[in-house]
Amino acid sequence: MDIRQVSGDDITRQILEFLSAATGGTALAEDQDYIAEGLVNSIQAVELVTRVEQRFGIEVEVSDLDLDNFRTAGRIADFVRRKRAAAAPDTRDG
Amino acid sequence: MSLAAVSTYLPDRVLLTDLPELADLDDAERALCLALGIERVTVDDELSTVDLAVRAARRTLAVAGVDPQALDGVLLVEARAPGTLASSEATGLQAALGANAAWAFSIGGLGCASIVPALLTARGLLAADPEISHILVAHGSRPVASRRYRHPVTVNGDSGQAVVVSREGPLRVRDILLETNGAYWDLFQVDYRGNPPQDWREVCADLPRYAFSLAVESRKRIAALNRRLLERNGVDQDDISCYVGQNLSTAALQVVGESLGVKIADGCRDNLRENGHLGPNDALLNLSTAIDSGDLPEGGRAVVLNMSPAAAWSAMLVEHRAPDNRTVCL
Repeated sequence: MDIRQVSGDDITRQILEFLSAATGGTALAEDQDYIAEGLVNSIQAVELVTRVEQRFGIEVEVSDLDLDNFRTAGRIADFVRRKRAAAAPDTRDG
Repeated sequence: MSLAAVSTYLPDRVLLTDLPELADLDDAERALCLALGIERVTVDDELSTVDLAVRAARRTLAVAGVDPQALDGVLLVEARAPGTLASSEATGLQAALGANAAWAFSIGGLGCASIVPALLTARGLLAADPEISHILVAHGSRPVASRRYRHPVTVNGDSGQAVVVSREGPLRVRDILLETNGAYWDLFQVDYRGNPPQDWREVCADLPRYAFSLAVESRKRIAALNRRLLERNGVDQDDISCYVGQNLSTAALQVVGESLGVKIADGCRDNLRENGHLGPNDALLNLSTAIDSGDLPEGGRAVVLNMSPAAAWSAMLVEHRAPDNRTVCL
């Protein structure tokens, strides 16, 4: 699948799948704060970010590592959309 | 700059499960502690951190063939908590060794990565002053609090380590890179003022930041440092004989290895299992082990990684070039 063709709903769904895999099959809600609940350790956090980067073709910079970007699947999806929008070529006239 | 000799003093070991504090941990803490990859820890409750450093220093001076009187300088990597306030443990080490012709001062500030500023300082002094020939870098490592388990990171053992730094020697330090991020300066802390020592606890002020933000940042920092280190020295990753890091847990070693796409030397895992975490002494103990095991043969190169939740990250490129092996563990 072309990473540019992933819809917004697909992004959230895939992140929920990543999170479920990272937390041993736990079914998470889109707005569930898995970090505050202590559901991921440091290795799982690194794996999650790596998978998000690879799947959606983005680079998570050190300056992006505000926990608020990653607390829930929904926030990760918003973050991915922002990063992809920022990286997209400007097609406006002029 | 070269490391003419490295010695590490390791006290007797105690089974992790025999540490009295294990009984005081709750179920979650105990499960995490027992899953770190540590079976035994080095323990000597009688020796001070300076005593630990002295034991290693005497041995490493003998191995290097350097008389204490011939030392130009003594750099003491500061302990996490001094034995007494207002006194100078650095000059105390100088006196204990009889390094009467040397100057002495302490250095640190980066927790478990504090060996790095000491080596950077030694390198600068050797470059700046042609009259300086030998500098001793030493450290005694023991936990600040009575508890050795630092939830959820590691279990601290006791050790002393000393390095003779000279212009010539078997281990040539080609380059050292260091980065720090002050945003994490107080992530781990011991609130000691007004509290009796038995109540001191090293605590993580923000576990989510440690487990997520710092873990991911460490992965990225170490990978970038390694790339930059190799690039600016014209070395390919395939030219590196081994990578050694610090011994916090098997999980942490796994993260570092995966971050770089390399295998961390087996000696790191072995030293973790047998000693626990030895603070700033881990990395050069692991380098010594890599030489002893053949992972770093003569003519080989090693990348030595140091990390601290303070937060600091460092990568050092070392070449093993001597016919004799001047590293020793007591």
